[in-house]
Amino acid sequence: MENAIISKEKLPELFTQIIAKNKLFAPVKENGFSLFKEVEKASEIDTSYVNTRVPPKSIIFKQTETLFHFTPGKKGNVEKIPEENEKIVIYAIRTCDAKAFALLDPVFIGDFEDPYYSARRRNSVLIGLSCNNPGPACFCTSFDDSPASIEYVDILFTDLGYKYYIEGNSEIGKKFLEDHKTLFDAASGEDQKSRDKVEREAIGKIKRTMKLTGIVEKLDGMFDHPIWYESARKCIGCGTCTYLCPTCHCFDMQDESTLNKGARIRVWDSCMYPEYTHHASGHNPRPARMNRVRNRVYHKFNYFPKNTEVFGCTGCSRCIEYCSANIDIIEIINKIGEVKE
Amino acid sequence: MVDQKELINAVKETVSREDVRYIVGYEEGTYGFETAPSFAYTSDDARKFIFNPLCTKNLVVYPILEEKLPLKREEQEDDRKIGIVVKGCDSRALVQILQEKGLKRENLVLIGIPCTGVVNTKKIKDKFPNQTEYTDVKEEKNHYVFSIEESVQKIPKKELLADVCKECEYPNPVIFDILIGEETEVETEPTYIEVREFEEKSLSEKWEYWKKHFENCIRCYACREACPLCYCKTCMADFLDPQWIRRSVDLSENTAWNIMRAFHLAGRCVSCGECERACPAEIPLMKLNKVLEKEIRELYDYTAGLDPEEKTLFGTFNPDDPEEFIM
Repeated sequence: MENAIISKEKLPELFTQIIAKNKLFAPVKENGFSLFKEVEKASEIDTSYVNTRVPPKSIIFKQTETLFHFTPGKKGNVEKIPEENEKIVIYAIRTCDAKAFALLDPVFIGDFEDPYYSARRRNSVLIGLSCNNPGPACFCTSFDDSPASIEYVDILFTDLGYKYYIEGNSEIGKKFLEDHKTLFDAASGEDQKSRDKVEREAIGKIKRTMKLTGIVEKLDGMFDHPIWYESARKCIGCGTCTYLCPTCHCFDMQDESTLNKGARIRVWDSCMYPEYTHHASGHNPRPARMNRVRNRVYHKFNYFPKNTEVFGCTGCSRCIEYCSANIDIIEIINKIGEVKE
Repeated sequence: MVDQKELINAVKETVSREDVRYIVGYEEGTYGFETAPSFAYTSDDARKFIFNPLCTKNLVVYPILEEKLPLKREEQEDDRKIGIVVKGCDSRALVQILQEKGLKRENLVLIGIPCTGVVNTKKIKDKFPNQTEYTDVKEEKNHYVFSIEESVQKIPKKELLADVCKECEYPNPVIFDILIGEETEVETEPTYIEVREFEEKSLSEKWEYWKKHFENCIRCYACREACPLCYCKTCMADFLDPQWIRRSVDLSENTAWNIMRAFHLAGRCVSCGECERACPAEIPLMKLNKVLEKEIRELYDYTAGLDPEEKTLFGTFNPDDPEEFIM
């Protein structure tokens, strides 16, 4: 199907059709901020947001995943939990968050396939919503992306005021559009122009730039630079930056049991906690906040690009906005760039 | 209003002392309405120091966060003093820590600032969501004054003032070595009106309220790390054996965490509001802290963090202490 438009009046009908056959996750506003939730009615959806507080990675890579149940003892057994095979549609995902899946996929569906992540990921359709009003610390353009990039989503919606411009990207996306085509009208050249104008304006609103040229190589020689002490002095050592990061994916495994039943669970972990690298011997190879802040930056801007040829950051700005000590990854990277070798 | 020059001069003078290692204060943040903790090791570094109603952070957390790394051979431990810029509430947090012997007074130099309340940065960000440049906010005649793209904004103070500051009884530092500027007049006595209103609600209403907040907790422990009084070497939440709180992030464990956090601050919390400010899930943690503060005041006529020589609430016992609430 070619590019299309849908009027805003017809949108609830589209959601009703989606909900009939899929689990629909979309941004809702609760307690004064936005988060992705499974919605049952179109009216719950609220797209007046820059970015949700917790990124939608939590839909596919859950913060707490029960891997299996068990009963201990001689007659004990293990009860496997079947993978979730329901169809998932994530609506109004931002480009930066959708790109994060492109970074997480090689981790969870790479050499070793994670059945829980991969089942949900393969059954998901990502419907993007162009970001018309990026936040004050947003910087997706530094990675040559745009608030209206289409390459990471299956379908992209762009708000043109009283209607949405719709583009299909992947095969799944195009088929999805075909299935619901009765709700769409063909897009005109004018619509295409309006869409491009909206994108240009959104790009214009992004004022901050992370200077990334040569940063991977530069970091190779900066492991012992005093900049890490300076950056980490302010850090209070909470896990906000990593838990709100759409690309952070570290986890911990735990057995949680009572006397006669238990479960093995997988929960998000954070490299900002001392416990993360605490060895059983008592030794900690990353004993100070300096080591941990440095690791976060190296992982995203040195190790990750070396392994997968992309930066482990999408410019969503959450780690900057919600850091209570104003640790600003743009500033850190730009400062590193300025260091004379 | 704090005189910037007076502050910088005091910091310069203090940091130049031989027995002072560094001073923690505030500097301009990297964008919008952010301020950042600033560390002055030399009198040159002091030039960055600022104080305005955006300087929300309780900096008393930093001497607690000092990491004692293993010394190299023949290296001497640096035991010079650490300086901190403190507002009223920050100084009370410090007094509480001194009472608990978590820090020593002789290891600290305090630059006190009489406070007139800080801005709720979430509110100001919501009002001006696209502010990329650092914006200096000044308080003038019960208004916050700042410029956005060359147009001067004048917003009534009560619209942007942090909730926790509205009933502040101790805006002036209760201990200090140097005081910058005139003491603030204290106008209010706490009414605990919000807490009282909340207490009127039925049990099920209260639970519904907390449920929808605790469900959003991501257990990042920003509340704990930001709190100067959460300084246990190992937090009960990090214990694995026994595991007081499970690592599963669900309503049950999140509730356990949030309630235990508040309880561990009973009689210790000084209402600086730092936990609530740091929470990325916007859980109204001060509502829990305030209930405990009110109960303790009513039952024991006790206020935390006022006099370093005084004993802590849990360090005192009186045979007449009320105990009706003990089953």
